[in-house]
Amino acid sequence: MRPLLELRNVTKCFGGLVAVNNVDLQIEPGRIASVIGPNGAGKTTIFNTITGIYRPDAGTIRFDGQNIAGKRPDQITAAGMCRTFQNIRLFHNMTVLENVLVGAHTQTPSTLWGAMLRTRSFQRAEEKARQEAIRLLRYVGLPAGLGDQLAKNLPYGQQRRIEIARALAANPKLILLDEPTAGMNPQETEAAIRLFRRLRDELGVTVVLIEHDMKVVMGISEYVTVIDYGQKIAEGTTAEVRKNQRVIEAYLGRSAPSEQGPVGEGS
Amino acid sequence: MSVARHSQLSPLQRLLQGTPGLWIVLAVAAGASYGFVQSPRSLPVRLLLIFSLLLIYFMPQKGWIKLLYGGGMLLIVLPYLGLFNPFLMELGFQIAAFATLAIGLNIVVGFAGLLDLGYVAFFAVGAYLWAFFGSQQLWHTDEAPGTFTIFATFPFPAWWFWIFLGVGVVGAAFTGVLLGFPVLRLRGDYLAIVTLGFGEVIRVMANNLDKPINLTNGPQGITPIQRPPIPSFFTSPEFLEQLGQLAGRPVGLNDLYGFFFYFMAVAILVLAIFLALRLDNSKLGRAWTAIREDDVAAVAMGVPLRRTKLAAFAIGASFSGAMGVLYAANRTFVSPETFSLTVSISILVMVILGGLGSIAGVVLGAAIVTMLNIDILQTLSLQLSSLRQGSGTIPLLGIPWASLPTQLDPARYQRLFFGLLLIVMMIFRPEGIIPSQRRRLELHEEPAQEPLAAQLEGELEPDHKLES
Amino acid sequence: MRLHRPNLLLEVLRPLGQLLVFILGASAAISAITVLTAFLIRGTRTDMDLLQITLILLPQVLIDGIVLGFMYATIALGYTMVYGVLEFINFAHGEFFMFGAFAGVEFLVWMQGQGWLPDGQGWLAYLLLAGAVGVGMLISGSISVSTERIAYRPLRGAPRLVPLISAIGVSFLLQDVMRFYQSTANGAFYRTFPTFGGFSERITLFALPLDDREITIAIQMTSIVIIVVGSVMLVGLNYLVNATRLGRAIRSVAQDRNTAYLMGVDVNRIIAVTFLIGGALGGAAGVLWSFRFTRADPYMGFFPGLKAFTAAVLGGIGSIVGAMLGGMVLGLLESFAAAYLTIFTRGAFGAEYKDIFAFAILILILIFRPSGLLGGKTTQKA
Repeated sequence: MRPLLELRNVTKCFGGLVAVNNVDLQIEPGRIASVIGPNGAGKTTIFNTITGIYRPDAGTIRFDGQNIAGKRPDQITAAGMCRTFQNIRLFHNMTVLENVLVGAHTQTPSTLWGAMLRTRSFQRAEEKARQEAIRLLRYVGLPAGLGDQLAKNLPYGQQRRIEIARALAANPKLILLDEPTAGMNPQETEAAIRLFRRLRDELGVTVVLIEHDMKVVMGISEYVTVIDYGQKIAEGTTAEVRKNQRVIEAYLGRSAPSEQGPVGEGS
Repeated sequence: MSVARHSQLSPLQRLLQGTPGLWIVLAVAAGASYGFVQSPRSLPVRLLLIFSLLLIYFMPQKGWIKLLYGGGMLLIVLPYLGLFNPFLMELGFQIAAFATLAIGLNIVVGFAGLLDLGYVAFFAVGAYLWAFFGSQQLWHTDEAPGTFTIFATFPFPAWWFWIFLGVGVVGAAFTGVLLGFPVLRLRGDYLAIVTLGFGEVIRVMANNLDKPINLTNGPQGITPIQRPPIPSFFTSPEFLEQLGQLAGRPVGLNDLYGFFFYFMAVAILVLAIFLALRLDNSKLGRAWTAIREDDVAAVAMGVPLRRTKLAAFAIGASFSGAMGVLYAANRTFVSPETFSLTVSISILVMVILGGLGSIAGVVLGAAIVTMLNIDILQTLSLQLSSLRQGSGTIPLLGIPWASLPTQLDPARYQRLFFGLLLIVMMIFRPEGIIPSQRRRLELHEEPAQEPLAAQLEGELEPDHKLES
Repeated sequence: MRLHRPNLLLEVLRPLGQLLVFILGASAAISAITVLTAFLIRGTRTDMDLLQITLILLPQVLIDGIVLGFMYATIALGYTMVYGVLEFINFAHGEFFMFGAFAGVEFLVWMQGQGWLPDGQGWLAYLLLAGAVGVGMLISGSISVSTERIAYRPLRGAPRLVPLISAIGVSFLLQDVMRFYQSTANGAFYRTFPTFGGFSERITLFALPLDDREITIAIQMTSIVIIVVGSVMLVGLNYLVNATRLGRAIRSVAQDRNTAYLMGVDVNRIIAVTFLIGGALGGAAGVLWSFRFTRADPYMGFFPGLKAFTAAVLGGIGSIVGAMLGGMVLGLLESFAAAYLTIFTRGAFGAEYKDIFAFAILILILIFRPSGLLGGKTTQKA
């Protein structure tokens, strides 16, 4: 099958530091894939490079048949890829609903003149976006009636969900989730995993996660890519990766076993 | 947002509830109007008139009642009172004009969070556009300032004013984009300094573009600039006589223009308010708030940073451009001095005093600052100078008024008041007098993710610089 | 790890050397460009020999530019230090400069009133001038520290634009406070720098024959004094920041305020000291400025302030050496623009455009090299 997202020889440097070194990555459509690796391995940098926040120093990134390396983040989002952030970056002083509506920016066809003149089509577009936003909030499991709250007043777990709803509002083919269960308790994590599955099963969205929590990774990933020191050191199914010697070394050799445990010990 | 207004009423609003409230507001407005007819030159009465407008805004009544009250005051009562003292119309014109400017600046600073310290430049562009084409300057482009005489005819007839109202909008918006392009990627504080520089550049150019081609007539300014023609019905002797009877004094063309410019300014202001409110509640308005809050997240959600910022600059500037054209026609004279940094800052003071992002607040801020500028300080100055001519002494100090130096003229100390206002507002009430709901929350609590955002911002910079 | 032991001599000589290199390099570059331009466009004017005029003016224009550069550099240090530590553009710095100028002038006027100002040259004149600079530094430093305490410190941690707006407020307030004071005290809002000590005397260095005319290279005592005082300030600051305990504390706060705090640095005190030093330098520059242009007025701080800020950005904001370089470049550019723009464009562009020059440079720098000429990859820190 032709991959939906394909990175080839992608390199990103900051000054002398090579944060991402010659990484290849293929994500097939309809998959739930994970990118894992120790802290500081370069996972988030890969995400930032894919989504256009950073521009790769070398390599190509193809998404849905077009080259997106060097495009602006908003263009990449418009092409059908959206993301969440490791440290939640909601618009704190906007309401929950407005947050999701900003996510729908590329999907709302209203124009400046439409907004000024309040044309029929403008009103229709706004109303449609509103309904869709409300539907998405419900979909990610947010209690009804929270739409008018300021985003920053909600608890952490709900903020994570809003971020996912906001990303979904862009109608993505691929959604990138950067440590989406960080800071969640086991129940919340479980619910989150169910949600990620539903995104793929019901909405047909390809899901790529960066995860630390091995329970999450092993629980839902169909394909795992392991990054260390900015390089891909292993990839494959969870079972394959679990047995990989380099992966075990990368985790055991760097962080204390008590912190995370070697891959696979989590479950 | 409107929900909050109804749920928590201030003591003043509770007083103005229901039918008694309607009568109270009416009584205040009527009292102020009666006072004005009795003593048309009294400053406290003028303040009471403004206050009654504020009461109308604050009274917790149905929208159409407020509209009726407000419209009645602005369109019937105030012009009627203007018959007794034309200064009222001048004051109304200036307040409406500056309120429009403040609303335009509010789009840039309040909505999109881009601190623009050279906003007056767009006002200048509008004003100079009509000044150049609405005067005889076109015929003097190869002559030095002060060497030519005034002819009987103008290159463009006066009714072109209406066309130039549109040209001013487009010209200012274009200038806004022109300024926006190079500064798009600058961080907030650098942006402020660069826009300030831009404002100064426009002023210096207005000052010096009398050579090699005399476009602006240099520091002397351009005059006379035409005013748009008034329909002959109003200028007919019968109509003027009727007005004169109403006013109890002869009414001339100048009074008519006073009314004309007042109504024009109010119309543009209302349009500006209308558009600003609509934009705030649209996709573009949300995008502005989003980039103000967190531009990285906004752009990751598909908001095009460049286009959104440029739209803020262009739309904010366009209000200012229209007002510039009107202002040039009103004064029949423009010179670079009208467009100094002090004006930019005083518009900023209006926005901040009233409340960043809050339309009602910004209009109130404009009213306060304009009153301070052209009415209160001037009145104080006049009173001081009349005291100085008398033989009295300053109470408590025992120094004769006459010994006060003429330099001590309150009207010359605008900057003192503005400066003080800015500092005090920033320290004690950064959200302004009538805060927008959002700002109130934002400015009193530090956003939790500020340090992280700043960090990422730092990381981001190199790449954002590279592209586009 | 071996402790870095600052060498006093080295810490004095190094910045002096850098300064000299900057002056020579920038002067040579800009002179070469100007002369070349004059040579290329000499055909456009028949009424004068453009090349000759250019060469005759050149020495004086250079000296004026260098003097201006020293003053800009000294003001720019105030911006750069505060920015380095707080990442905050101290919009009111130009007004600290103005207060310093008035303090110095008032001191000398008072001395004059006592009849203590000598007419001729001599050590007393220098002493009095030094006194004026000292008074200016004292007043500006105190104003700077009080401003920080009252108008900036309560706003630390607020969104970025909040302290900036407050600083604009301070700037406006201080202008009119001074105007108010001068108006009540003197009846006029400006003050003239007393003439004394024979500083306006010119020293002829040498004369060069050129065709039928002669280029005299002469320098005013005023210029020499400014260059010397400016150099002392720059070197002194450099020493303070790079070779003392206090300097190390300042640098640590600039690097990372939180870590510095955890390491036991009294951050508030260090920030106050930074404002004190920055303000004092601004005050010294103010006295020199009014010494050079023989006048102090409440609005004198605006343009020099903006240009010095430009200089700081040009050199790389947060960098002390950068501020010196930026100031020098800007001073020379402005001096050359003022002198040659009118001649080269046949009067189409007056010398007034020199004020725009600074902004044009600022915009270009911020767009193409926001970290400044000497700045590294990081734009944020010193």
